[in-house]
Amino acid sequence: MSAATRNPELVVDGFPPRRARWVEIATSADHKDLGRVLITGALGFLFIAVVELLLMRLQLAIPENTFLTPVTFNRVLSLYGATAVFLFAIPLALGFFYYVAPLQIGARGTALPRLGQLGTWLYIAGGAVLYSGFLFTPTEAGVNPLAPLSSLAFLPNNGVDAWAAATGLATLGFVLIAIDLVATLRRLRAPGMAWRRLPVFSWAAAICSWLLLVIGPVMIAALAMLLIDRNFEGIFFAGDAGGSPLLWQHLSWIFFTGTYMLVLVFALGAIAEIVPALARKPLFNRGAVIGSLAAIAVLGTLAWMQNMYSAPIGVGWMYFAMTMSLALIVPVGLVFFNLIATLSGGAVRMRAPLLFAAGAIATISIGLASEVCHSMVAVGWRLQHTTDSTAATHFALVGGAVFGGFAALHWWFPKMTGRTMGETLARFSFWTMAVGVLVAFVPLFLAGSEEGQVVDAYKFFGGTGVDAYNLIATIGAFVLAAGILMTLVNAILSRENGAPAGHDAWGGDSLEWFALSPPEPHNFDVLPDVRSARPLRDIRAAIAHRSARAERPARESQPVA
Amino acid sequence: MAPHSPGTEQIDTLLWIGFVAAAILIVAVIGALLYVLRRYRGERGTEPRQVTGGRGIQVRVGAALALFAAALLVLSIVYTDKARRTPTTGAAGFQVSHSEPLKITATGQQWLWRYDYPNESFSYYKLVVPVDTAVELDLVTTDVVHTWDVPDLAPERDAVPGKTNHVVFSADEEGTYFGQASTLSGQAYAAMRTEVDVVSPDEYEAFLKSQRQGIQAAQDRVVGLIENGEVP
Repeated sequence: MSAATRNPELVVDGFPPRRARWVEIATSADHKDLGRVLITGALGFLFIAVVELLLMRLQLAIPENTFLTPVTFNRVLSLYGATAVFLFAIPLALGFFYYVAPLQIGARGTALPRLGQLGTWLYIAGGAVLYSGFLFTPTEAGVNPLAPLSSLAFLPNNGVDAWAAATGLATLGFVLIAIDLVATLRRLRAPGMAWRRLPVFSWAAAICSWLLLVIGPVMIAALAMLLIDRNFEGIFFAGDAGGSPLLWQHLSWIFFTGTYMLVLVFALGAIAEIVPALARKPLFNRGAVIGSLAAIAVLGTLAWMQNMYSAPIGVGWMYFAMTMSLALIVPVGLVFFNLIATLSGGAVRMRAPLLFAAGAIATISIGLASEVCHSMVAVGWRLQHTTDSTAATHFALVGGAVFGGFAALHWWFPKMTGRTMGETLARFSFWTMAVGVLVAFVPLFLAGSEEGQVVDAYKFFGGTGVDAYNLIATIGAFVLAAGILMTLVNAILSRENGAPAGHDAWGGDSLEWFALSPPEPHNFDVLPDVRSARPLRDIRAAIAHRSARAERPARESQPVA
Repeated sequence: MAPHSPGTEQIDTLLWIGFVAAAILIVAVIGALLYVLRRYRGERGTEPRQVTGGRGIQVRVGAALALFAAALLVLSIVYTDKARRTPTTGAAGFQVSHSEPLKITATGQQWLWRYDYPNESFSYYKLVVPVDTAVELDLVTTDVVHTWDVPDLAPERDAVPGKTNHVVFSADEEGTYFGQASTLSGQAYAAMRTEVDVVSPDEYEAFLKSQRQGIQAAQDRVVGLIENGEVP
């Protein structure tokens, strides 16, 4: 050591955290921390849902299998449905919206951060309640527990109560997060960020949040009625006492159908960010894509009675649902057309996010085309409640939530962690999943439409012509699971060991790439004045312009944006 | 499976229309996607032309999709309407008075179907109906929602507590048709199957008679046991 420094230097390199990291996260109201909690939670529950799916497929691998008892199978089925919908698909979409949308609009945080914090932890609480299996017997009532099977008379243990409490807590959480997102998107957009310049994914966030504000309270009301029926001698859904079992079906299907649309809008919104950036072209007919996403949310949700074609409701209502469902062909078709038109004529870089995005488009198109078929009333009378509808729903939702969700994960992972996910493992994962989803669910199409194998059954009988289909489907489910597991492992490994990504990992056009990776707690030090729908492209052009001028003897320097 | 009633024949036709429509949509989307992904590759350094959209092509594609949807809607309504029509009893069928359909009540109960025939006889699991005869099933349930689903003969219908649902069909050929309840109804749901035996009108009447005699004999036996004090 030489002489001591006379003036002490203050080096500000972030204050050292006063508390442990987990305490920081548990008490944080920052949308990025909460977004990561939602996404991590959702991916964790995805793993659990996959394990449950494999248990059911093992039971259905051979006819009249006795691997699971009927009661166990029904419990696994019920947990699988609640996990996949309430604990994986919705929070994954909301997690990405909550993380990305404030960055995309150039906000320094969200408008009502404590509300979002409460919502996030209500979701985690919901997951904890559903899986507190030591205290509750899991429900046996199925993915959508129809009244009166869900009533106290038929399932007197506390499983259905736990299910209702868990999904109710999670749904309440989603509604709170949606309120925060709506407020943020309305009030905290950067100067110049008009609605017409809002990135498509932020539009998707706004559409899905509004959708949740409509369907969330409907579900919460239905769950409250269910709990009243079970615990306080209510008769909302008791058919013999003046209530209506069909009321439950209407309310719950409004929510489940709306959720279906939410997953699709989320996936298509993410894909509409990935495709233009990796094709290096602007999104073809941006306005039409945004309008179509809104139309999908509205029309699709209005088609809820498509699930009730066999119920005693007037045939006019079925025609109404069918009209809404068939009308969905137009907006979904336009979104697909515009995405493909964006790729056309582009300079396409085939990176992992685009691979998963293309996979999502393909699987969603298979699922939704089958739903078109199911929505035709007389066809629904034949195919509903068969494994054909299981396959259609799984193609659309695995396409949206898993393929679309993984596309979003690969896309925004560099922003969240500063590192890219391993490209080789991503490719292996994608092709395994692509093979898996086809082998797992195409046989179920055939078993349902040709032989009428019914849904939700804990066994099937030999000699009904579905043995081979089910065995192949089981093998496919394991392949799909292996592919999903690869991406989950990839995400865990890349968090620490991925290649450093830089702040603008893909050459994106929206403002989240203007922030650091990972972003500072306050998101941005300075904000550009937004002058178009592609603010980062404007900045790059301005920099290029300035450096070109700097090489010549410049008279005065032009400030950047 | 093959359709064996006028209603399910219409359903089958519409099903094929739906398959073709779905196949067209899937092939169009995936085909176009694979084509552009193979055709337009480029690495860093190239900047393609920045096309932002075109109103004309958007309107044309939208109109084409709308026409496609409208055509499907019309076809669906036409065939659904035909499938809903009450069939008429043919010459070879069981003649009911006033040319009304033969009314049978099907009661879903965990986990068995009970069928009540007009002459107060009943059967479990197995429904016996005469061939070429319009049959109307009144679907009720004593407990939870059950779906009566015999895909060869009739569209699926729910039996919902507090309501009566209806399904009409007319089987065109004698034989045995299998069905399975298709809404989760509890533990033994997967075993809740049913069988429809389509027989000639004479055999149908004979079945009702023997069933009635059997029920009567069983009742007499129970009454006898009670009178003898063997059953408290």
